[in-house]
Amino acid sequence: MLVMRRRAGEGFLIGVDIEIEILEVSPTRVKIGIVAPDVLQIVRKEVVLTRQENLTASRTAPPQTIAWLSRNLSKPRHGASAGLTAVKDLTDSARFVSEFEKTNS
Amino acid sequence: MSKYFGELDYSAEAVFQFPEGIPGFEDQSAFVFLEQSQTHPLVFMQSLLNPGLCFIAVPGLVADPTYHPDLSPEDLALLGLSPEPSPQTGSDILCLTLVTVSEQAGPTVNLASPIVLNLRNRKGVQAILPSSGYALQHPLLAQGDLVPCS
Repeated sequence: MLVMRRRAGEGFLIGVDIEIEILEVSPTRVKIGIVAPDVLQIVRKEVVLTRQENLTASRTAPPQTIAWLSRNLSKPRHGASAGLTAVKDLTDSARFVSEFEKTNS
Repeated sequence: MSKYFGELDYSAEAVFQFPEGIPGFEDQSAFVFLEQSQTHPLVFMQSLLNPGLCFIAVPGLVADPTYHPDLSPEDLALLGLSPEPSPQTGSDILCLTLVTVSEQAGPTVNLASPIVLNLRNRKGVQAILPSSGYALQHPLLAQGDLVPCS
C-alpha cells in the first residue's frame, strides 16, 4: 500500500483525471474532496462490504438449517403465538428485547 | 406471496418502509417481518416487491447479549428520530441482525450493519456502523454448539 502524508488543503492525483483533496482534518475524522469522471462509482467501503454480506444473506436457507438455528438459539422467555404471525408491531421481538434490557441493566 | 411461507395475509400496519432499500437491494422499499413459534427467535424479513427475497434475522441481543449499536445522526434522521432523547430499544426501535448461512463456516450475523426499525412510524433502515468494532460476520453460535447442518 502506498502511504503518504498530507495536510488539509493538500491533494494528490490518481492517474490524470482523479483528484483527491484533503479538506479538513480533525482528531477522529478526515474530510476528503474527490473529483473524478462521472462513470466512476465512488462508494464507501463499508457499504460495499454490507452489500456483499446482504447478497450472501439473501440466499435460500434450507428448512433443516432454519430448524437447527431456531433450536440452537437462546429463546425468549415468553411464549410466541402459535402459527405464523405477520408481525403487526413486532410485539414478540420488541417484548423480548425489553425484557432482555431490563434483566441485563 | 412469500419465499418460505407461501401465501401470506398481512395488514397494512405490518409493512415497514425502507425509503433507500438496503445495500445491494436498493429498489426493495417495503418489507414485512414474520415470526412463528416453531422458528423462534428467528424473524423473517420478507420483501413485498420480490416474493423470492427473504432475509433471516435475529434480534441483535440474541446474537450478542451486550449488543448496543450507536446509530449515526443520518440514520436516525432517515428513521424520523432525533438523537436526544435517545430512542429506547424495544419500545421505539428494534435492532435486527441479518443471518448468513454458509456451508464452510457456521452461521454468522451481521452486527456491523443492523436493520433498525422505528416501531412508531414503521420506517426501516440498514444502519452502517463502520467504526463500531462490531463484525460483519459474527459467529451466531459458540464454537462448541456447531453441528453439521444436514
